[in-house]
Amino acid sequence: MRAPVPTTEISEFINRHFVDICQTMLSITATSISPVVFPLHADRVSGSVGFEGENVVGSIYLHLSPHLAARAATAMLGLPPEESPSGEAEINDVVSELTNMAGGGFKSWLCDTGVSCAMSPPAIIRGGAFDIETTPGAERICLSFDCENEPVLFEVHIKFN
Amino acid sequence: MPTKILSIDDSRTIRLIVAKAFQPYDVTMYEGADGEKGLAVAAEEKPDLIILDVTMPVMDGVTMLGKLKEDPTLKEIPVIMLTAESGRENVLQIARMGVRDYLVKPFKENQLIEKVSRIVPLQKKPAAN
Repeated sequence: MRAPVPTTEISEFINRHFVDICQTMLSITATSISPVVFPLHADRVSGSVGFEGENVVGSIYLHLSPHLAARAATAMLGLPPEESPSGEAEINDVVSELTNMAGGGFKSWLCDTGVSCAMSPPAIIRGGAFDIETTPGAERICLSFDCENEPVLFEVHIKFN
Repeated sequence: MPTKILSIDDSRTIRLIVAKAFQPYDVTMYEGADGEKGLAVAAEEKPDLIILDVTMPVMDGVTMLGKLKEDPTLKEIPVIMLTAESGRENVLQIARMGVRDYLVKPFKENQLIEKVSRIVPLQKKPAAN
């Protein structure tokens, strides 16, 4: 069994990486919040990617409020602030791409620490009436962010083999 | 004559961001949502430059790049790869494939413009009256 990458290192990387994504792609300042705060039973737009390698398996989930997801789409598509994205498909595509960037950066960082893995394409879940549970033996790391008064939850489920 | 740029990405969001970045320039944009469509557009339009995503359904960027390099009429078209993965192994793999440059997502418009302008001429459009 490979020695797992310490949770603190994973959290530190995610903090840096997510703040960078928000600043670069959305021009939104994200600030890490501790303890974790996110209304998990409220409606949300959640992006997910999976990753798997010889020594690791897991998933990443990025949960945004519908309002922040729409705001992110407006920012990323370069629409005027008063203009909303045209529909759910457009918002889903933006959240997919943000999740892809979040997952891609995390996967690359894992590979650079010696844990090679491949990543799945992103998927989107919408709604509030769902729970995501970890598989046996997996660790769940949750980080929450304040994105200019909008909450975001970044979840990593990870199991080292 | 406008510079012809082909943007290939399964994400409409990224294609829009790329197209928006070149709006101030005398550029004709072409698009493809996967490698297969991208190859067809490349064969028809013979772009001056291709901006190619790595991970896509149907035909990924790596496979498309291989096919592009096998085609004597397309192999000289410079390619900039777009990738969400910045790891050493990934970057080395991209470098070995014979691309001119690569850009890691997340990226800023000016980073894209800077990389493209090193390869093809970008002329600002004249200001509208």
